[in-house]
Amino acid sequence: MINPMLTPWLVAAVPLLGALLGFAVWSQPDKLKAWSVTMTLANLLAVIVSFFTLTGSTEGLLFVLLLPLAACVSLLGQPAHKEHRLAWVMTLVFLGMGLGILTLPPPIGPMALTLLLGLITFLLYWHHDPFWGPSWLGISTYGLGTLCAGIAAMTGSSIASLLACTILLPLVPFHHGYVAALTRLPGSLPSFTVLLLPAIGLHRVATVLPTLPDVVVSVVIVVALSGSLYGTVKALAQSRVRLLLAYGSLSFFSILWWFVAVTRTVRPQAAVFLGSVALVTGGLLMSWQVIRTRYGDDVDPQGITGLAAPMPRFAVLISLLALAAMGLPPFGVFAGFMGLLFTSPLTLSVAPLVVAITWLAASWYILDLVQRLLFGRKRPDLRYEDVHESEFASLLIVVVIMFALGLAPTNLFGGAVQPTGTAVESVSWNR
Amino acid sequence: MSFVILVPLLPLLAALMVLVGDEGTRRQRAKMAVYPIGGAFLGAIATLWWVATQGPITLRFYDPASPATLAFPIGFYIDRLSAVMMVLISGVGTIIYTYSIGYMYQDPHDRRYLALIGFTTSVLLCMVSSANLMMLFLFWQVLSYMLYLLAHNHAHAATLDGAFRTFTLLRVGDVAFLSGTVLAYQLYGTFEFQALFAKAAETPVMLSPWPSFEISGPTAVTLLLFIGGMSKSAQFPLHFWLPRSLYAPTPVHALLHAGIINAGGFLINRLAPLYGLSSTTLHVAFVVGTLTAILGATMMLAQNDIKKTLGFSTIGQMGYMIMECGLGAFSLAVFHLIAHGLFKATVFLNCGNVIHKARQDPESPHADPREEEKEFSSLTWSTGFATTLLIPLLILLVTHGVLRIPLLESQGTVIFLFFIWITSSQAILTLTRLRAIASWKVSSAMLLTLLFVVFVYLFAVESFTAFLYPNPAEVASYFQAAALPNWLFDSMVVMATILTVVSWGYLYMRAHGHGRTMWIPGWVEGLRVRLYVVFMNRLYMDELYQALGRAVMRVVHRIDKRNARWSE
Repeated sequence: MINPMLTPWLVAAVPLLGALLGFAVWSQPDKLKAWSVTMTLANLLAVIVSFFTLTGSTEGLLFVLLLPLAACVSLLGQPAHKEHRLAWVMTLVFLGMGLGILTLPPPIGPMALTLLLGLITFLLYWHHDPFWGPSWLGISTYGLGTLCAGIAAMTGSSIASLLACTILLPLVPFHHGYVAALTRLPGSLPSFTVLLLPAIGLHRVATVLPTLPDVVVSVVIVVALSGSLYGTVKALAQSRVRLLLAYGSLSFFSILWWFVAVTRTVRPQAAVFLGSVALVTGGLLMSWQVIRTRYGDDVDPQGITGLAAPMPRFAVLISLLALAAMGLPPFGVFAGFMGLLFTSPLTLSVAPLVVAITWLAASWYILDLVQRLLFGRKRPDLRYEDVHESEFASLLIVVVIMFALGLAPTNLFGGAVQPTGTAVESVSWNR
Repeated sequence: MSFVILVPLLPLLAALMVLVGDEGTRRQRAKMAVYPIGGAFLGAIATLWWVATQGPITLRFYDPASPATLAFPIGFYIDRLSAVMMVLISGVGTIIYTYSIGYMYQDPHDRRYLALIGFTTSVLLCMVSSANLMMLFLFWQVLSYMLYLLAHNHAHAATLDGAFRTFTLLRVGDVAFLSGTVLAYQLYGTFEFQALFAKAAETPVMLSPWPSFEISGPTAVTLLLFIGGMSKSAQFPLHFWLPRSLYAPTPVHALLHAGIINAGGFLINRLAPLYGLSSTTLHVAFVVGTLTAILGATMMLAQNDIKKTLGFSTIGQMGYMIMECGLGAFSLAVFHLIAHGLFKATVFLNCGNVIHKARQDPESPHADPREEEKEFSSLTWSTGFATTLLIPLLILLVTHGVLRIPLLESQGTVIFLFFIWITSSQAILTLTRLRAIASWKVSSAMLLTLLFVVFVYLFAVESFTAFLYPNPAEVASYFQAAALPNWLFDSMVVMATILTVVSWGYLYMRAHGHGRTMWIPGWVEGLRVRLYVVFMNRLYMDELYQALGRAVMRVVHRIDKRNARWSE
């Protein structure tokens, strides 16, 4: 019987150990990829076995389950190429650190967070594009995040901690790091960090929120609503897939910020919503990776059309992911979104309108993107090749998780939902 | 009783039968799948019989005390309304599926198409038998996406464009529906229909979104839900997705026009007790419905394509249906949507034959002005006179004396009688102009048919109302809630009377010396031509929305560019 105190260490150590041992097969990309996938599965097994002995908040425990799965599918979806080796190993490292941050007590958790943000800053610098301005903004943002996380770890400052959270769970104007991570990080890292960083952010927000002054919370509410609109507008304007997905998810995360700031709590629905938005964004990033693997990294999305008929398996999976991303049932984004709306004290004001616009606009830009890829005329000059087994498995797992998150009762991830509307008298607009 | 679950599941099974399996048995599987869909139809009939004799069926797979723990509180509440709708949907679904097997033969994507028909039928059946507002909303949304997929030929640019617009416009309605659902839950704390109605009735609540403006809880909820219904039922100004979706295979239209588009009427009937609490929403529905009926019918007259003509005819009919709801005649709207659904499905399934015939005989239908009767026919015009002025009086007397409908207290009925009067006058006028044969046989047949149709219709509607809403007090309360201000009501009645009588008088006098050709002043003719162009182009609504879309995207790109410049 393992000591419950040691369980978080064990859970975090499995992937870190896997990363270290991965160097033994560094020269064989096939084996390294298989090894990395195996380690994420072993980690998942370790999490499941020790799940009831892990301590922490309910939303954190959901992410402890989701992170190994997200790492596994991110690795599976990658082609076995030597260029991706560093990304695979770093995925395992990030997974270990992420699990540590979520489950280990202070000061280890906050210190691990500082280290993680520092590592991401370094990786972004390593892969930065000197001709793309936002690349530098991203590096600076994560640099700031590292500083804030360090200060918060040492002094316990709630403002520094909040700033770190706004960088992890992206909130305008500190979203550049998130956008850069999704667009500049190599291989499997974007589709994994899209869950990892916001999940840690939400986990930290849960502890920071009660300590914040009212005026700061009010500012967060206003910024969150503006950020939601900003993300929507930016997503609508993008022609590049990864930027579109980054800004689209930013707008959804801003809704989440608004929700947690208004309620000053992190409810299980918030975790379901975040997990679903992050996973589906990761799934769509992996789908785009499928296209990039076939037609090159610089492929123009406008030039790829008519994939539905020659790539039926890919078409079905990306369609399901798009449905989930648009917030349609029966997937997790819809379930989480409904959960947020039904448990938040909505008023007849600007906020619901902004939320509605964000939700509506997702149908526009996601469908437009997927429609462009799948439908239209088949190009005779393109060689079409449907998804391979590993790509198929990775996308299918994401769809299944989304489905499970949509159907599972929310009290599975925490306490029962307390409907705010049962008492008419409690409604704020009531006279 | 649990057998009712099979009704929505059987079409799903049919869809899976078509979808899963090897290529060699594709055709056989497609044919075999008719049986589960037909089985669903038989099951729906059995459900109707059960519900009519034993009362509503309720099945829940969740705890109604805390439905929000599940994002999908799946359950079934089947009352007479649901059962009637289930029979209609499964019946039309069976016919359309059977028709589609032959229609889509040798289409490379027939498997996907047939599976989607089965799946859509299943979704529709789940929607009409939903146990709560949340489940209704779930399937309401799925239906929006199904319409996108059913466009089928996604390689065709115009089809794809139409499908995209259809989906995005329906999503606008979905957002309004979502807002209504959330507001209802926030105010009354439940999704369950009966509990929702009871709480809304017993706890009056006023909302004040901004100073000096107040709106009642039921009005806010029903208005938002009504916008959702407007989008699905193609009500002005959210109607233009319907003509844009006409590139889809013809059987899809039969299903669309017979089933999916009725969703708005069904929604209002499902939530009738809630709508009965808000006169404002009913009045809005009346205005929107009337406007849609008039515009839809007018645009239909100006189209030169059979599918578009039928599409706008549906828009007009849906306007009429919503107008009925706005007058509190909820059961009449259901009667109307059933009758219209069956009629329109038949017409759509047959329109291919008409197109085929027209290709073989381009002169068909024959219209030669030289064949016009030159002489004035007293018999024909007397028939018209009797139809327009005498029969309505007879109908009024029968309605008042035999059916015991208190006309003076029932504004809705009076408005319908007037509407019947005006439309039948219009129909007879058209018939008189097209087939002006001075024959007593034709005249008597016309009069007897009209009398027969009108009385059968009135009796059928009365019986159907009694079946759907057995409590007459409930029916009366809806009429009461929908009552218009007296001055408005009286003005409408007087205007309709003057308009019809004066029009007939004018036509009679003008036709006396000109056979059937009506003399129209030059300025009226000029105006008619201009209006014809406007209505033929569907009031330029497509262009207007396109311009709006372009303007929004221009703003979006401008913001993006400024932001990018700042970032660099």
